Amino acid sequence: MTMIPKFGLPILALGLTSLAASVSAETIPIAIGHQSMCTDTYTAGIVIKELGLLEKYLPTDGDYADVEYDISWADYSSGGPITNQMLANKLNFGVMGDYPLIVNGAKFQETESLRTLYVAGTGYNLKGSGNAIVVPVDSDIYSITELEGMEVSTPVGSAAWGMLLKAMADNGIATDQYVLKNQSPAVGAANIAAGKIDAHSDFCPWSEIMEFRETGRKIYDGSETGVPYLHGVVVREDFAQEYPEVVTAFVMAVYEAGDWIREDPMRAVTMMEGWTGVEKEVLYLYFSVGGHLTLDPTIKPEWTEALKFNHGVLVQEVSVPPLDFDAWITEDYVKAAYEALGEDYEAEKAIAVDPAVANAGLPLEIWHAREGILTFDDAPSFLAAMAEIQMEASKVNATYVYDVDTGLKLFGKTAFWVQSGDDFTTFLRKGEAEEFAAANGGTLIEFEDAILGFMPTEG
Amino acid sequence: MNRTLSTLWQTMRTDWRALALWGLSFAILAQVLMMIALMVRFQDVPNYVEFYDWFGNVFWIIQSTPSWGDIPPIIAEEWLIEIGFMNYDYGMGISEWSLNVIPSRMVVLFGLGALVGLCRTLARSNTCSLEERRGLTAATGVGTVLVSMTNATMSWVVCCAAPSWVVGLAMLGLGVSTSLAIQDLGPLISGSGFAVLGTLALYLSWTKSRGLRMNGVASHA
Repeated sequence: MTMIPKFGLPILALGLTSLAASVSAETIPIAIGHQSMCTDTYTAGIVIKELGLLEKYLPTDGDYADVEYDISWADYSSGGPITNQMLANKLNFGVMGDYPLIVNGAKFQETESLRTLYVAGTGYNLKGSGNAIVVPVDSDIYSITELEGMEVSTPVGSAAWGMLLKAMADNGIATDQYVLKNQSPAVGAANIAAGKIDAHSDFCPWSEIMEFRETGRKIYDGSETGVPYLHGVVVREDFAQEYPEVVTAFVMAVYEAGDWIREDPMRAVTMMEGWTGVEKEVLYLYFSVGGHLTLDPTIKPEWTEALKFNHGVLVQEVSVPPLDFDAWITEDYVKAAYEALGEDYEAEKAIAVDPAVANAGLPLEIWHAREGILTFDDAPSFLAAMAEIQMEASKVNATYVYDVDTGLKLFGKTAFWVQSGDDFTTFLRKGEAEEFAAANGGTLIEFEDAILGFMPTEG
Repeated sequence: MNRTLSTLWQTMRTDWRALALWGLSFAILAQVLMMIALMVRFQDVPNYVEFYDWFGNVFWIIQSTPSWGDIPPIIAEEWLIEIGFMNYDYGMGISEWSLNVIPSRMVVLFGLGALVGLCRTLARSNTCSLEERRGLTAATGVGTVLVSMTNATMSWVVCCAAPSWVVGLAMLGLGVSTSLAIQDLGPLISGSGFAVLGTLALYLSWTKSRGLRMNGVASHA
C-alpha cells in the first residue's frame, strides 16, 4: 500500500485546483469596429475605448469569474468595411450610421447562418441634421433650388446621399436635372476648397469641418428633410447569444460615455480632438448643449420607421437585400443595461428632442481660447463681448449662434445676421435672412460688421 | 466535337507552363494598371501599405462560419494587401483611395490571363486573313475588358453602405446612374466575358483540329 505523505495532500489539492482553474479559464475576445471620423459614433467607439468604460462594466462574477477579456478596437473610415469584417467574424460589434446599419442587417440576413442584432443607438438628430449640402465659400449659390443643372457630389450609399436624393426631390429637382458625382468625403472636401465642384453633400462632421476651415458654406441642412439621422450599435447574434452580459455591459458603457460628454462638453471635445484629430470647435457643434446630436441609446419607434424609409431608398437605388426589422432590432440588451444602471428606459425612450423647440432661448456662446466657453443671453451682449475681445486682441476659438427657423447650432462667422433696430437675428441661409429683413425692416449684415457696431468710438 | 476538345486539351497540356505564365502576368499586370490609373486620377502616389494575414483569416472564417454555403462569398472579400493614399488633412488621416489585392479576384484574373494565352496559342497555329485576325483580336479584347472591369478592386470611403465592383469604375469617372444601373449585372458581365473567350478558344481549337488553312499570314489574336 502506498502512503501519501501528509504534507503531500495539500500540494496535490493545490495542483488539482490550479489545473481545474486553467481548464475553466477562458479568454473572450471582444472586437469592436468604430469610426473616429464620424462624430455620431463616438459614444460607442472612441470615448469607450479611451476611457476604458467597457472594462468597467464587463462581468467578472458567476459564469465570468475565471474569464479574461481580450478587447480590440479597429478604426474604419466608413461602415461598409465594418460589415465585411463582422461577416468574417473578425469583429463582434460594429458602430455605424443608419444607411450602413441597414446594409449590415440585410447582408447578414442574406446569409444562411449568420445574423446581427441592432442593440442600441448612440445618438440622433430628430430632423436629420448632421447631413448637409455645402458649396464653395465664394459660390453665388445660396439655395438648393439653384442646384438645377449643376454638378453635385456625394458619397453614394451614405446617409448624405439618401438625404440629397430626398432633398432634391422635395425641391422639385429631378435626378436628370443635375449631374450627380460619386466622391468620398475627403475628395469632396478638397474639391469644394478648390472650387472644382458646384456642391457636395456629406455626413457628420464633414460639412462643419468645411465651414470651420472657411472653405465651404452650408446651403441646406439635413433637418429640412425631416427624416431622423441616427447611428447605432450592431452585434453578431452568435456572440450575443453566447455572451449576453457582455453586450449589456457594452450598452452600459455607451450610456456612461454620453453622461461623460454631457457632464462637461468642452472637456469632452478637447479630449476627443486629441483622440480623433477632428477640430474641437467642430465637435462642440455636435456635443454641446443645443448641439446637432442628442446622445441617447434608446431605440424609439420613430427610429424603426426612419430605418424602414432608408431601407426603401437603398432597395430602390442599390438593390440592397430585404431586411426583417422585427428579427433584427431588439431592445433586450439596452433595457437590461438601463435596469442595471438604475435608469428609467421607458421615460428616456419617450423623449425625442426637437432642436427647433429645445434650442429656443439657449444662450449664444463664445469659446475664448483662454477663458473657455462664455455664454450670453442676447445677441447685443454677445456682440459687445466679441468687440471687447477683439479690442484686447484675445484669441477666440469659435462662436456659436442658432438658426432662428430650425434651432440649428451654427458658427457665428457662417451665420447670416439681420439687424432690426437694436435686435439681431441669425439664420442658416441667406434667403430666409433676406425675407426676414424685408418683413421686419431689417438689414442683412456680415458678422464682422455686427461686431464693429459695438466697438467703442474714439472721442 | 470530340476532336475539338481533344485539341484543346492537348494544347493546354503541352503549353501549361506558358498558360500559367500568361495567367500570372495578367493578374499582376491588372494590379499595376489599376494602381497607375489611381495615381493618374488622383495625382498622388500611395503613401501607405498594409498586409493582411489572408491564410489565417480564411482559416478563421472556415472555423467560425456555421454554414458551408456562407463561407465562399465571405472569403471572396478577404484582402491580402491594401495600398493607398492616406490624407492627413482630416482627423488622424483618412484613406482617400486604395487598391486592394484580393486573392479571389487574382484567381479570376489568373483564369482570364490563361484563357487569353490559350486563345493566342491556338491562333498562332492557325493562319487567317487580316479581317479574321482583327475579329479574333476584337473578341479577345471584348472578353478581357468584360472580365477585368468586374474585378476592379479600387476603393474609397464612398462605399459607405454597399461596396461593390462598380466603385472602382466610379472612381475613374463612371457616372452614378450608370454605375448603379450596371451594379447587379456584375456576374452576367463577367460570365459574358468568359463566354466570349471560351467560345473563341473552342472556335480556334475547332479550326485547328480540322486542319483548316485560312487565308493570309500566320497571326494571333
